[in-house]
Amino acid sequence: MSTPVAIVGMSVLLPGAPDLDTYWGNITSGVDAITEVPAGRWDADYYEPDLARRADRVYCRRGGFVDPLAEVDVVSFGIMPNSVAGTEPDQLIALHVAAAAIADAGGDARLPVDRERVGVVLGRGGYLTPALARLDQRVRTARQLVRTLGQLMPELGDEKLEQVRQAFSDQLGPDSPESAIGLVPNLAASRVANRLDLRGPAYTVDAACASSLVAVDHAVRELADGRCDVVLAGGVHHCHDITLWSVFTQLGALSPSQRIRPFDKGADGVLIGEGTGVVVLKRLADAERDGDRVYAVITGTGVASDGRTASLVNPDTGGQVRAIRQAWLAAGTDPTASGSIGLLEAHGTATPAGDAAELATLAEVFGPASATDRPVIGSVKSMIGHTMPAAGVAALVKAALAVHHGVLPPTLHCEDPHPALATTRFRPIAEVRPWVDEVRRAGVNAFGFGGINAHVVLEQAPTSRPGPAVVLEPERVLRLSAASPGHLAALLDTDDATVLAASLDEREAATGPTRLGIVDPTPKRLALARKAVAKGAGWRGRNDVWFAPKPLLGTGGGKLAFIFPGLEADFAPSVDALARRFGLDWRSEALVGDVGRHGTGVFQLGRLLDTVLRELGVRPDGVAGHSVGEWTAMAAGGIHSAHQVDAFLSAFDPDALRVPGLAFAVLGAPADQVLAALANQDDVVLSHDNAPSQSMVCGPAEAVEALVLRFRADGVISQVLPFQSGFHTPMLEPYLAPIQRAAETYDINPARVPVWSATTASEFPTDPDEVRALFVRHLLEPVRFRPMVEAMHAAGFRAFVQLGVGQTGSLITDTVQGNDTLVVSAHSPHRDGIDQVRRVVTALWVDGAEPDVRPLLPESAKRRRAPVRLDLGGALITLDSRTRLRVPGQASALDSLVDGSPLAAELSLLLKDTADVAAELLTKRRPAPAPSVRKLDAVLPVSVDTMPYLLDHCFFQQRPGWPDHVDSWPVVPATTVIGHLMAFAEQAAPGQRAVAVHDVRLSQWITAIPSVDVPVSVVPAGDDRVLASLDGYSRAVVELAPEFPAQAPAPWTFTDERKPDLTARELYDERWMFHGPRFQGVEELTAIGPKHVRARLVTPAAPGALLDNVGQVLGYWIMASLPDRTTVFPVAIHRIRFHGDHPAAGEELECLVRITSVTDNALTADMQLVRRGRVWAEFDGWSDRRFDSDPNIRANDRAPGRNTLSTVEDGGWTRVHERWPDLATRELIMRNQLGSAEREQYDQQSPRAKRQWLLGRIAAKDAVRRWMWEHGEGEVFPAELLLRDNEVVGVHGREAPPLTVSVAHHGELGVGIARRGRCGIAVEPADDPDAVAKASSAALEKAFGARFAPSDGAVPEVRCARIGNPPGLPSREYIVAWTADDEQEMGT
Amino acid sequence: MSVETTAPVTEGQVTQDQITGEAVLAEISGMLRVLLDEYGLDDVEITMATKFHEDLELESIDLVSLSADLKERYGNQVNFAEFIAGFDLEEIIAMTVGQLVDHVVVSLREAARG
Repeated sequence: MSTPVAIVGMSVLLPGAPDLDTYWGNITSGVDAITEVPAGRWDADYYEPDLARRADRVYCRRGGFVDPLAEVDVVSFGIMPNSVAGTEPDQLIALHVAAAAIADAGGDARLPVDRERVGVVLGRGGYLTPALARLDQRVRTARQLVRTLGQLMPELGDEKLEQVRQAFSDQLGPDSPESAIGLVPNLAASRVANRLDLRGPAYTVDAACASSLVAVDHAVRELADGRCDVVLAGGVHHCHDITLWSVFTQLGALSPSQRIRPFDKGADGVLIGEGTGVVVLKRLADAERDGDRVYAVITGTGVASDGRTASLVNPDTGGQVRAIRQAWLAAGTDPTASGSIGLLEAHGTATPAGDAAELATLAEVFGPASATDRPVIGSVKSMIGHTMPAAGVAALVKAALAVHHGVLPPTLHCEDPHPALATTRFRPIAEVRPWVDEVRRAGVNAFGFGGINAHVVLEQAPTSRPGPAVVLEPERVLRLSAASPGHLAALLDTDDATVLAASLDEREAATGPTRLGIVDPTPKRLALARKAVAKGAGWRGRNDVWFAPKPLLGTGGGKLAFIFPGLEADFAPSVDALARRFGLDWRSEALVGDVGRHGTGVFQLGRLLDTVLRELGVRPDGVAGHSVGEWTAMAAGGIHSAHQVDAFLSAFDPDALRVPGLAFAVLGAPADQVLAALANQDDVVLSHDNAPSQSMVCGPAEAVEALVLRFRADGVISQVLPFQSGFHTPMLEPYLAPIQRAAETYDINPARVPVWSATTASEFPTDPDEVRALFVRHLLEPVRFRPMVEAMHAAGFRAFVQLGVGQTGSLITDTVQGNDTLVVSAHSPHRDGIDQVRRVVTALWVDGAEPDVRPLLPESAKRRRAPVRLDLGGALITLDSRTRLRVPGQASALDSLVDGSPLAAELSLLLKDTADVAAELLTKRRPAPAPSVRKLDAVLPVSVDTMPYLLDHCFFQQRPGWPDHVDSWPVVPATTVIGHLMAFAEQAAPGQRAVAVHDVRLSQWITAIPSVDVPVSVVPAGDDRVLASLDGYSRAVVELAPEFPAQAPAPWTFTDERKPDLTARELYDERWMFHGPRFQGVEELTAIGPKHVRARLVTPAAPGALLDNVGQVLGYWIMASLPDRTTVFPVAIHRIRFHGDHPAAGEELECLVRITSVTDNALTADMQLVRRGRVWAEFDGWSDRRFDSDPNIRANDRAPGRNTLSTVEDGGWTRVHERWPDLATRELIMRNQLGSAEREQYDQQSPRAKRQWLLGRIAAKDAVRRWMWEHGEGEVFPAELLLRDNEVVGVHGREAPPLTVSVAHHGELGVGIARRGRCGIAVEPADDPDAVAKASSAALEKAFGARFAPSDGAVPEVRCARIGNPPGLPSREYIVAWTADDEQEMGT
Repeated sequence: MSVETTAPVTEGQVTQDQITGEAVLAEISGMLRVLLDEYGLDDVEITMATKFHEDLELESIDLVSLSADLKERYGNQVNFAEFIAGFDLEEIIAMTVGQLVDHVVVSLREAARG
């Protein structure tokens, strides 16, 4: 007996099946994947079924095709997308399928460390594959065309003929000698070895249709000999070249009825398929040792030829019989014995001669029929066609899956079985059946042209396997949906195998309202599910079974909550693999009992799970937390930024929270009972009302212990907990300062989703001050978790997902009691996060949500991020209209030959057609270059009425509801301007498209308030080009053409990149970008590197917004990469080239930005926008101007209502230095700091005075705003305040405090002071010897007037300080003098 | 070993001869079945080796209900709360029905001895 070999991994790409799971699903449900030949494979006019047969005619056009599935993520294999065109597609498909098979076997890590012990053997035939066919066209056909034309029409001359050759060759794309290696046929195996670093034997074998099984035979011998420990074996065939169809037509092998019906009496021929399959093979003993999943065991292989027989075409049974007997001899099983075989996967080509010979062989080897033993015969060719060299592996994979799952699959179209079947033991089946043999054993046939035959014997893996079972594949999830519980019960009313085979694809949307989901559907769980469904009541999660008779979510209308746990006694997160899968940063060093660091861990875990669930498309309708989990909820809900919470927690001193002598205890009793027991003591307090059966108390350790003993004596389960913090009790108050300080510095943002407070058992308030106040109350008052959950339930929440460690979920279950609520945890100590999150996704799906499960699936099943679609086509070349114009035909000489020569007639027709097209184009589209463009003068009205979307493109933030839109400064984005320039150019050249813009110059912003009519001019600027200008603002040269260029450049690829530290959401929500919703198209910041950034965009509806988003992505790069001068606006673009119509709103694109230069003043980049793998637009030399900005200026831009440009000094005055020497930046600062009335005053200042006047205003208004904040005011925007003499006035309803204000400035310094009483401030250059005296008297004079003289001796105190310019400004020192505070209200 | 649910015994009338492991297991199984019925696990097999957490998926809050049931059945003769007070978290997770049965038997015998 030979060495048994285990199949431990498999993958395929076959008609209708991009992967293994789909293939098996298609097989069991009987999917017929045969279609008509897709356009592009060969030209439709070859199909002439009614004409006499000829080598270049076919009578059949149906077959098995993979065109829409032929997508490979080449970049992940280190292959540049631009080399794909010159590479034989089957090599890339083989690589893709081989990698998927390895992944299916448990991944690269399961391969031997010694790569020399891994081999690859693939069956592949010598056909005219697509890339070779293209090479043949380039090398042979081009010359043939020219030679024939030259011989028939010598008057064309060499020059014309060269033009023809060139025109033809150009259609084949650029010559790329560097990718010629991609045409060498054996690379189907060698490229796999090369890219996957497999160093054992790697080669292809050609045994026609037996190739795959001959490859398996080689692999088995490599393993048996011990040269290899793992061999990938299989076959590839991706050739639908018309020459192959011609061969089969000439042989008469193709089915005239265009149906492939193996073993049907009326079978009349084969249909051609294509595909690739790879299996991963190991010696069975090694697989058992390594704990591999074994699909099936190859126990024997046989290969034999017919030898000298009557015909090379017609099969002979002699060779087939010997091949099969050889294999069964090796397997050590008598093929004639009863029960020897359950499934024969036949060659089954459906040709009369082939089927008859195969049936005769089977009768001879396996013996005649018996009443009791009727094994099944089938052929997957009935579903996918004959995949030629890949046919053996398609059959082998099918048989191995059947053995593995214990299911006998159906064969299609065998309605009237071949009479010879009766002479065999075998019968075909049309429906899937369970396979109940004692040992499931299968045989697989593959017989090739010329008489080469191969057979493989498979049997099920031994059931008892030593060592621990290692689950290599993700846990299986059964999903069923039905119209009602009754229908679902009917679906379940059959054997387990049939139920499992009926499972829905997790990636597809389901329609039925009644749903069942089981993770790891064991027979026990299936039995439980049948009972639960029969009862008809909801079942939500016990034993990993979920059943909802009616959905709670989705159409059920219920809301979904994320619940973040607080500190639990046991904190052991198990999310390492989950974090890796989602590429998230995760490290856990938390120690229980160390509240601070434990808090960090709890927060990070909550945020990780929040990110993961959102990536899975799970979005909460509300968030809440238990205890300090509420902080996580506030961040997840958007009230606090994650950065600030991170910063707070990383700086948090755990000791600051340890309240000596305190203890917590958990009591198994309701809060009212606990409160009653506490009625007579004031040292211990209720800290948590958790659930009807659980409360917590806090107090001095001894008193808490006494209480625990008291409750326990009463039979109440009670426990002292390992925390000593005093959280949620008044006992924390003396220790509150550090937390409170941090809380005050937090920015309070509007919540993105409602955040619930367990202090008030209601939603958080919206007013930031109330939020801050509640934040503090939460620390001092009991956690009212039970009342909050009750209130959420009353508000419609029906699903609660726990995002963290512990038993918070069971508190919710205890509170909501009953069948109408789903509680599920995204974390479990029993399994890694991926598996637990799979349960969340299943549970939510069952209750009507539609989460996106793909990120949880193994690589092979996931949608590829940026796959490249392979060109499998072999169509004839058709010249595009431009080329036809460039090479006009001369038909005259030919015309004279027409009568005598059919070829000349055809050529003449062709040339005439060309001439007609040319004429049409010349007359209609391009009468003549110069007059084709008419001069255009027009007007572009710009206002917020004509362009309402500009209200989302305002540079400055104002108070919500601020009536004066001009203060927000709505500006037409540069990219919208470009769109207008293109539109005007098209208007001036009817019928032409703007295909590119050159030399875009953006010299001035177009503001929409007040509205303005911008003059537009379009003038011709040479061939195909116009100069379009918005006079005074911008201009561009627009290139026009009848259609967009056909050849798009290849998308760029990058290395050396990391995950961005901001999400796209944070980019907007934290106001890193000023853009409002209509300009927020950046959906994902994908990756950033030292010289590039990548993002995913969703086209917004607003004109120009998509290209504006490209600028935003560039803006993100500089912000993330450089410390200052990160405010950028576009000023020029060298060129943008478009390759199609503008994407529609909602379309997704990938944005690739390549930084080309960074100087102090400019940032330049090239970009690509990639739509479905193709470059839609390419930008060359996009130049941004860098404006002066530092982190403080940015903070002001982001939140002007909470930040100041000034700093406050001892003594309560403010100072601001001019950190923006550049005029353009000063204009931006000015607009952010001044309201419209003040801007008018500014404009009236002399150019020299403007700078210092502005500094003074800023300092004084900042002094007022700081005073207001210190007196409890919330957001105050600069434009809300106006200085009038020494007073401050509120604008648009803002009440200004009754303050006196004083301002001074000198050089690059502005200072201000604001007080309730009189005050004055002055500044003098320090190099003046009398500076102190001058400044002091000036300050006094400002406060009390010029004639001030102390009458009663009470001289107001004046203080002085010497300050200097900060680095980066001219070196200069100043004396500042200010009157001290006579009310001592701002004591220093 | 599988045990059928027996008819509940009236509270307080525990006699010496009823204090056998088998009888107590039957009673506790009955309580657990009532508790588990809410979860649809009414026909799960309960033996001395059955684990509260792993096999029955009970969480600590469920033990509060069980504690109340025990108190109702055995009054102050058995104090489940004090029994598990000595356990740490891992021991509670690993606790079997048998451990509880043994505790109840010992408690009842002590009480009967007076």
